[in-house]
Amino acid sequence: MSDDAPWYEAALVVGITNALNVVADAFGEPGPTEGLLRPLDEGHAAEPARALFAEVRAFYDCAEVPLPFALMAHDPAYAADVWDAVKWAFSDRHLSRRLKEALAFAVSLTSRSGFGTRFHLGEMRRLGVGERGVMEVLGVTQMFSSYTKIADTLQLEPDMGDIAPVDRSPAPGGDPIR
Amino acid sequence: MPTVRLRHPSEYPAAAQKLFDLSRSWFNHDFAQPPAMSRVMAWDPGFGAPHGRAMKRAMMPGEFSRAEKEMVAAVVSGVNACAY
Repeated sequence: MSDDAPWYEAALVVGITNALNVVADAFGEPGPTEGLLRPLDEGHAAEPARALFAEVRAFYDCAEVPLPFALMAHDPAYAADVWDAVKWAFSDRHLSRRLKEALAFAVSLTSRSGFGTRFHLGEMRRLGVGERGVMEVLGVTQMFSSYTKIADTLQLEPDMGDIAPVDRSPAPGGDPIR
Repeated sequence: MPTVRLRHPSEYPAAAQKLFDLSRSWFNHDFAQPPAMSRVMAWDPGFGAPHGRAMKRAMMPGEFSRAEKEMVAAVVSGVNACAY
């Protein structure tokens, strides 16, 4: 993975995963803000939201719309835009959807998101990751949660940045550096 | 700036030099001197050795490749806002 493209993709997965988790954790997890905003009931939803729900269910092959989308659907235009970004970020491109779900699981675990941890663990399993694979992601997450805190405590300065070559290719569609 | 003085590799005992060699081969990179984290881990082998073994076990190819796991490690470091 020496090209930059996979890293851009990974960063987008991290960002949008966090965006979904903050909403779902705030209103769906036990705590003082639980239930302050209710998910949109599909039975009472107007057409734009119903179409969105159908697309979300198809993408995740699930009966129930995941909480963040049901919450955002109170504003269907906004929810549709976020959904387009989510779908794009998690689709197979340079990185597989399976790996992206593993990244999202690691992000959710690291940021202590109850919703994200459950949801992306379920997605990893649905996409064929076995218990060994789950333990692998858990192990890497745990080990690097240790290394990062040791590094931060001792305020270590980055010294491994030149391991990989720099990707000199232009942005997609752009001109190469002359 | 680090809160401790990172020792020059020559200040470490012979056993630690082996750890530095292992680190070089793990990263397949000829560092000018061992990375700071390798030197931290070599400071206390009672911790560094098992922690390093656990890390290598976790990073070994399995259902996910080493490259995929490096990416998982990078996003975990990013979420932890760790610049190192």
